[in-house]
Amino acid sequence: MKSILRGRRLVTLMLLLFLAGMVVLVVRIQLEASFYISQSGKPCYGMVYDREGDVLFDGINGYSGYESGHFADIGSLIGDTSGQMTNTLVARNLELLTNYSFTTGMRRDGKSAITTTLDHAANQATYKAFGKKDGIAIAYNYKTGEMLVNVSKPCVDVAKGYGDISNFPEGSLLCKAFYGTVPGSTQKVSTVIAATEILGAEQLESLSYSCSGSYLNDSHQSINCHKSSGHGQQDIIQAFANSCNPFFAQLLERSGMPLDRIISVYRGMGYAVNGDQKGTISIDGILSETASTTLKDIHDFDTQWGCMGQGETLVSPCQLMMWQSAVANGTGVSTKPHLIASVTNVSGKVTQTAVTEYTEQLFSPAAAREVRKIMLDNGKNHYVASGKIRGYDIGVKSGTAQVNGGKEENSLLVGFVNDPAFPIAFCVVIEKRVGGEVTTHQIVQQMLDALK
Amino acid sequence: MYKNGISYFGLILLILLSHISLLAIVLFRGNYGDVTDVGLLTAIVLGTDLIYFCVLRLMRQATYTADFALVLLLNMSVIFQSCFGGVGFAFKHYLMTVGAFVCCQIAYLLTRDAVVTEKRKPVYYILFGVLMLSILLFTGSRGIWIDLGFITLQPSEFLKPVFVLLCATSISAQQNKKKTLGFRIVRDNWYVYGCTVLIVLLQWWCRDLGSLPTFLAVAGCGLICRICYPRAKLSKKLIVGLCAGGAALAAIAVKLAPAYVLERLHVDIWKDPSGSGYQQCKALIAIAEGGWFGKGPGQGTLHKVAASDTDIVFSTICEEWGLLMALLAIFTILLILCTSLTNTPRSYYHACIVNGVVAVFVVQMTLNIFGSCNLIPFTGVTIPFISQGGSSMLTSGFLVGLLKATQSPLFHSQVKVPRRKAPILNKKRKAMA
Repeated sequence: MKSILRGRRLVTLMLLLFLAGMVVLVVRIQLEASFYISQSGKPCYGMVYDREGDVLFDGINGYSGYESGHFADIGSLIGDTSGQMTNTLVARNLELLTNYSFTTGMRRDGKSAITTTLDHAANQATYKAFGKKDGIAIAYNYKTGEMLVNVSKPCVDVAKGYGDISNFPEGSLLCKAFYGTVPGSTQKVSTVIAATEILGAEQLESLSYSCSGSYLNDSHQSINCHKSSGHGQQDIIQAFANSCNPFFAQLLERSGMPLDRIISVYRGMGYAVNGDQKGTISIDGILSETASTTLKDIHDFDTQWGCMGQGETLVSPCQLMMWQSAVANGTGVSTKPHLIASVTNVSGKVTQTAVTEYTEQLFSPAAAREVRKIMLDNGKNHYVASGKIRGYDIGVKSGTAQVNGGKEENSLLVGFVNDPAFPIAFCVVIEKRVGGEVTTHQIVQQMLDALK
Repeated sequence: MYKNGISYFGLILLILLSHISLLAIVLFRGNYGDVTDVGLLTAIVLGTDLIYFCVLRLMRQATYTADFALVLLLNMSVIFQSCFGGVGFAFKHYLMTVGAFVCCQIAYLLTRDAVVTEKRKPVYYILFGVLMLSILLFTGSRGIWIDLGFITLQPSEFLKPVFVLLCATSISAQQNKKKTLGFRIVRDNWYVYGCTVLIVLLQWWCRDLGSLPTFLAVAGCGLICRICYPRAKLSKKLIVGLCAGGAALAAIAVKLAPAYVLERLHVDIWKDPSGSGYQQCKALIAIAEGGWFGKGPGQGTLHKVAASDTDIVFSTICEEWGLLMALLAIFTILLILCTSLTNTPRSYYHACIVNGVVAVFVVQMTLNIFGSCNLIPFTGVTIPFISQGGSSMLTSGFLVGLLKATQSPLFHSQVKVPRRKAPILNKKRKAMA
C-alpha cells in the first residue's frame, strides 16, 4: 500500500508541475498579449502627445486633418508604424500604443497613449532655426532627464509617406542625435576631465604652455592650431576657450599623464577604447550608440588628435549632452534622458509614469566642478559678454569636426544653462557649415528662448 | 469505497448541458452559411452523447467519472474541430472520437484484471517487436507515417500504450534477482531498459524526436516504480546516481542533437516571424486576438496556418472560443487523470499503469501547449483527444481505458470463487462455532 501511495504522489507531482506551467502560461499571456497584438500587423494604435498635448503620432485617424509640416521635425524621432524606421519611439513602444486589452480585445476608440516630454513648439522653432542647413539639436532638463528638444535634419515627413523614398536626402530616416559623430573640440571636455582626474584641479590650472600656431610633437608630427599666428602663452582656461590644439598636445605629452590612466577615465565616461565592444544607451527603448576612440601612444599624432575630437573618435550628440548633465550637476553623475512622461492604457488608466534615473559615476565630482568652472568662464567671457547668447548664464564648449576626410567641417556647441530654474543641457551640430551661415550659438539662442 | 462525486444521472445532465451550451455558442456567435450545419452538428453530438450513456450503462464498473469526462471531452473536441474556419461537421474527426471511445472500453475490458493482464507479458513484447519492425520497415528513415492509401497510421503512437503496459508488467519481477556475470540483477529490468534504448534509437532514426520525451517519461516513471517497489529500499545514493545519470544523458543528447533541434532550443521566434518562428508567432497572436472569450466559432484566421488543428490546436481554440474555453478543455483532460487520485488503484501493477498513462498525457500536453506558446522548444505532438489525428485519438482512448481499468478493477479471486459456495462456508463457520 505504501508503494501504491508513492505512485500516487508521483501522479500528483506530475499534475502539479503541469498546472504550475499552465499558471505561468496564463500569466505570461496576460503580460505579453499587447506585444503579440502589436506584432500582428493589424492592430489599432493610440496616440503620442508632446508635453502640452500636441499630437506627435495619430494611430486612430492617421495624418489627415493636421496642417502641412506638423510632423516634419519629429518623423525620425517619433516614427510611425510603417516599419521603415526601427529606432523610433513608436517602433520601440508599439506594445504600449496598442488599443487592446486581453479582456476587451481591440478597440478603435481605445485610449492608449504615450505622453512624451518633448516640447513640440520648441522643437519646431529649433528645426526652423537651422534654415537650409542640416544638423542635430538635442536638449534636456539635466535635473529631471526630460528630453525637450530633439531635431535631426533632414527628417522624413511621415505625413507625406514614403512614395519618394529613393529620393530622400541621406539620413532622413535616422535620428542622428543617437548615432556617433566626430565631436571636434567638444572632445576637449573629456580631455580636461581626464587631466583633472589625473593631475588634480590645482596642478592643471597651474600649467601653461605656449602656442605658436603649430606644435611638433615627440613623434615629430605637427599639431596645427586653427589660429596660425598662435595663441602665445596660455593656461587651461584660456586654451579651453581658444580650443588650442598645441596646448592640449603639450598637456598630453608633458604633464606626465600616463596613457593607461587616460584610457581608464575615458572608459569610465563610457568610451569604447581601442576596439572595446561598443554599448548602447536605451532611452525608452530607443538605442543610442556610445562613444568610441583609439588611444595607442600618447606621443603619437593619432592619439593626440583623438583626444582633441578628431580622427577615429566618435560620440553621439545625445551622449555629449549627457556628459554636460554630469558637469552641470557638479556630481560626475549624469541624469539619464527619457522621452516618455506617462503611458495610458486602452481604458485611459495611467499605467506608467517617468522616474528620474541616473547613470553610475562617470567621473569624480571634483573633475565635474573644475570643468563646470572652465565652461562657465568660457560661456561668460566668450558668448554672453560678446552677445552671442543673451539672457542665460551658460557654460559651453564649441568644436569644429573634420568630416569626409577633412573636406568638410561640422560645427558643434555643447553646454548647459547654469540656472536651477531652467536646467537645460544641450548639444547642437550644424553639418558642413561654412562661414556666413547660421551658427550653433544662434540655434542655441533660439532653442533656449523657445524652451523658456 | 469507490468515489464518483456526482450521480450517474447528474453527470448525464451536466454533459448534456455543457454540450448544449457549446452548441448554443456556435449558433449565436459562430460563422456558418446555413443553420442546418449547426443543426446537423447538434443532432450528431447530442445523439452520440445518448449512445455513449447507454453503452456506459451496460459496462460493469464501479466508477464512471473518467468515462463521463471522456464523453464530455470527445464531443467537445468534435464541436471544436467542426468549427475551425467555419462551421461544418468534421466527420473524420468524429469517427476517430467514436473509435477512441470504443478503444477505451476495449482497453478496460482487457486490463481490468491485474493478475491476468500482467501474465500477458510475452504478448506485450511481441506487440512491441511488431510495432518496432513496422516503423523500421514501413515509415522510412525520415518519416513517421505509414500510408495505407485510405488512411495514414503513425505506429509510434500505438507503441505508447504497449510501452506503458510493458513498463508496468515487469515491476513484479523486482524480487527475482538472478546472478548474471557475477551481478545479482533483475533480468526484466534489462529487457525494459533495452526496449527504451531501442525506442530512442528508432525515434532518432525516424527523426520523430517529438515523441521521445513521452517515451522517456514513461520509462522514467517505470524506473521510479522499480525504486519504490515493495521491500525495495529508497537509497539516497541510488537516487542521486540516477539523477546524475539522467543529467549526463541529457547533456549527451543535447550535444548529439541534430542542428534543427538545437536551433529550436535557442530560436527567438520574434526575430524571424515569417520563418522558423512562423507557427508560434501566429499561435501567440491568435491567443491574444481571442482574449478570454474568443472571436466566435469559425471566426478565426489561424486555421489557415499549417497544423492549426494538431500542433497548435490550443491556440486555434483560444482564438475562436477564448482562453477560458481552451483551459476548460485542458482541465477536462486533467479531470480524467485526477480520477486516479480519488479512486486509488488496488494493485501495484495498476498503480504503475496509472503513472505511465499520466506521464504520456502530461508530457504530450506540456510539449504541445507550452511548445506552441514558446515556453519550451516547439515539437509536433498532439493534445490527447483535442488534436486531429486518428492514431493519437485511438491511442489516447486506449490509455484512458487503462486508467479506467485501474479504478474499476476486476479481482481475479472473485472470478474464481463461485458465489453459491459462500453459504457452505457460512455453514462450516456456524458448525465450528
